[in-house]
Amino acid sequence: MSRFTMEEVGWTPRLPPVEAETATPAQLAALEACPPAQRRSTYFLTLAQDPASLGERGALFNSVMYAPRGLPRADREFSTAVVSMANGCVYCTSVHARRFAELSKQAEAMQRVLDEGHAVETDPRRRAIADFSERLTLTPGAVTAADLAPLRAVGMDDIEVLDLVHSVAMFANANRLMQSLGETEK
Amino acid sequence: MTRDDLPEDLVEDMLGIAPGSPLAALRARRPEARRHAEGAYRELLMPEDPGNVSHAERAALALRVALREGDRALAARYRALLEAAGGEEAAMLAEDLTDGMMEGRLPALLRYADMVAARPATVGQDTIDALSAMGLTPRDIVAVTQLVAFVPYQVRLMAGLRAMQGEGAA
Repeated sequence: MSRFTMEEVGWTPRLPPVEAETATPAQLAALEACPPAQRRSTYFLTLAQDPASLGERGALFNSVMYAPRGLPRADREFSTAVVSMANGCVYCTSVHARRFAELSKQAEAMQRVLDEGHAVETDPRRRAIADFSERLTLTPGAVTAADLAPLRAVGMDDIEVLDLVHSVAMFANANRLMQSLGETEK
Repeated sequence: MTRDDLPEDLVEDMLGIAPGSPLAALRARRPEARRHAEGAYRELLMPEDPGNVSHAERAALALRVALREGDRALAARYRALLEAAGGEEAAMLAEDLTDGMMEGRLPALLRYADMVAARPATVGQDTIDALSAMGLTPRDIVAVTQLVAFVPYQVRLMAGLRAMQGEGAA
């Protein structure tokens, strides 16, 4: 039985989150840059303790995950779920596996990957995305043009590849923040 | 060194992505990702109000993570920032990757950077409480964690872009 799930899991911060009612103007402005659905979450309110970094990082995250066209959102969510598994972040995995399942209606395929790893993925496009995502996550220094060939073989163009690189890189960041600043509770 | 002395875009400067090149044009199609990656780098390394974590300490932490992540080119950039901030001694500490247990504030911060960068699941409430006991505020701790977690973003972004450059050459 794998420790990964797409059920909701809890997250408790190790530092006091900012209270929405008593937040400073700088903190509120930084939260405004974050994805609307998440800007009142405990996690973002914890990051709001340092508004300067949250404003930039929140806007970066928003663009990477939600910028229009290019790599379909479901693919971004699938990639970030695979990255989160590789980094051992149970919380991030659950969130992005769930979003992938909602967007793609492929909950069973996602569950198999959660249970058995992405080596069982039979869809060629998702398999190529998963292989590349794990490789760039675990051994960035070893990645070469040859690693992009399987992505090109399933038809990905330049903007899709760039979006995929952004997604993978973003979760090198997000998984470390989430695991360091709080406790995940299944 | 101030922000005005920095190249307009760290990633494009490091990778030699010339204005008007195909990769520059591609990045221009994701202007927010380009702008805020540079913005996050500047806010984390050279914030106007650094709180209790100096610019030199920030550069030392970024140097450490770049080395841990095996990106020597990025590490050299952070070493230059650190030297400009007068951090010769800090550079020696940051570049010593043996698992020492040296006392003092910077060694403790570097150990935290190692944990977040390489073994984030091993961070516990006691880890965070130890940073608070050193006099860091919640804001300082979030800033340090954001910084240490951002360098891995840069490393993978540039690894991916280098692979795309390699495709063009092939």
